[in-house]
Amino acid sequence: MSARRPMVLVLIAVGLAALAAYPTVGTGYGVRAMLQLFMWIALAGSWNLVSGLTGYVSFGHVAFFGIGSYATAILITRAAWPWLPASLAGGVAAAVLALVIGYPCLRLKGPYFAIAMLGLNEVLRVLVSYFEGLTGGGLGLSLPTLQATLPIYYVMGATAAAVTLLTYLILTSRFGLRLMTIREDEIAAEALGIDTFRHKLSALLLSAVGPGIVGGLAARDQGYIEPISVFPLATTITMIVMVLFGGKGTVWGPVLGAAVLFVFQEAVWARFIYLHQLLFGAIIIAVVLLMPRGVLGLLQLKYRLPRTI
Amino acid sequence: MAFLAVEGVRKSFGGVAAVNGVSFALEAGRIYGLIGPNGSGKTTLFNCITGLERLDAGRVTFKGERIDRLRPYRIANRGIGRTFQVIRVFPELTALENLLVVTRGPRVDAERRGRELLELVKLERLAGEYAGNLSYGQQKLVEFVRVLMTDPALILLDEPAAGVNRTLLNDLLAAVARLRDQGRTILLVEHDMKVVMGLCEMVFVLDHGEKIAEGPPGLIQADERVIEAYFGR
Repeated sequence: MSARRPMVLVLIAVGLAALAAYPTVGTGYGVRAMLQLFMWIALAGSWNLVSGLTGYVSFGHVAFFGIGSYATAILITRAAWPWLPASLAGGVAAAVLALVIGYPCLRLKGPYFAIAMLGLNEVLRVLVSYFEGLTGGGLGLSLPTLQATLPIYYVMGATAAAVTLLTYLILTSRFGLRLMTIREDEIAAEALGIDTFRHKLSALLLSAVGPGIVGGLAARDQGYIEPISVFPLATTITMIVMVLFGGKGTVWGPVLGAAVLFVFQEAVWARFIYLHQLLFGAIIIAVVLLMPRGVLGLLQLKYRLPRTI
Repeated sequence: MAFLAVEGVRKSFGGVAAVNGVSFALEAGRIYGLIGPNGSGKTTLFNCITGLERLDAGRVTFKGERIDRLRPYRIANRGIGRTFQVIRVFPELTALENLLVVTRGPRVDAERRGRELLELVKLERLAGEYAGNLSYGQQKLVEFVRVLMTDPALILLDEPAAGVNRTLLNDLLAAVARLRDQGRTILLVEHDMKVVMGLCEMVFVLDHGEKIAEGPPGLIQADERVIEAYFGR
């Protein structure tokens, strides 16, 4: 493994360099598509951090995306913040939300937590619609026009890379092992002296920051947000499917899942507007039935690879 | 002052009194046995001591401190370790990782200690294997050495001998005796009478959630109430 390590690092460096250089050769559509892919990598990777590791399935993860979007949009429109610090503040807002919601909800066991998170997302969407003065209510918020696709491309890419690096660091640490004990057997973890609640809360916090930042960047990029566009359940489901497809609890699973399913969606969606949802549903069923561990999870078990694949 | 004192502990599930006013005290550095027929409340009592069940009444004190209101991880961190009757290894963690999760401090030291303990139960070759792939007996041993990683002063073992083959069992019992020699206190639930009689200095007998006898193993074996509880009248 140590012999292969320099090669892996070189590969990663080449890949990052290619992605950094891409906008100089790519088409406008290509750059936008890549930006979207970065967003999905960050979202799927973040979901993996809490749900892939602790087994606590968050069905409301898009709430962190939505709160990040609104925090950023409000700071830009009402306080005239530049978009970069505003997006980072979106990450902070999501972290605060994670603490506030995690504190009561993480005391619930698995399925109840999943439902509570689903409820959180619905409640937030209603709240955002209600506080019209701040959020524009159902009419949404329009951001001042700005051509910033290229810098957003880089910041989005950096966020995706940061989430992936964070996943690597956690997975190779004993903190990561402790998070996994919660997934494996929470009672045994407690009996060994692991403060499972604090660990779950830390995981939820870490998993909220990425979506918060990405939500802010997406809001800036699109220039307009409304409650239904930033709190859709479909976004959470897409994150989950990407991770399950690629392999939960691994470093590269969310990246692989995001890449494959995003390309698939783009290719199919462009041709068959309605059919693509049907196909997406079929993929979900196929993954759950045929390879519940995902592509990399399967390889990991079969060839005894480390989780860092 | 008793090392561990269990006083008037009660725990019911619905209408069933699983543990019904049990009291006993442990002194440090000895091996105790907890026996009784199926459903007599042994495991529930373990769960009450380790905080997995909240008591309906009574109290548990460890080194003079009341612990029955603490969360399980806090009780564990005060020095009470346990194993489970139904194996609870972390299946998708390797055998070594199972031991590492509870450690702090430099990782190399923790890994060395983990490997030493795996060697103790002859599992060093399987350190990198997922615990879920090990046999029942091997998982049992992983669970046994995992609890030692936390360096507990009091160890509760729930049927450590069940499913472990004879050769390994002797090693395991020798290891338990060594733990006592190191000054640790051990309370074990066991069905295998030979194990209990050979190892324990003092035995508590539960029946229908109540303590019906207490004493050295030789006397317990001859106690009429115990014989009745086990074999019927």
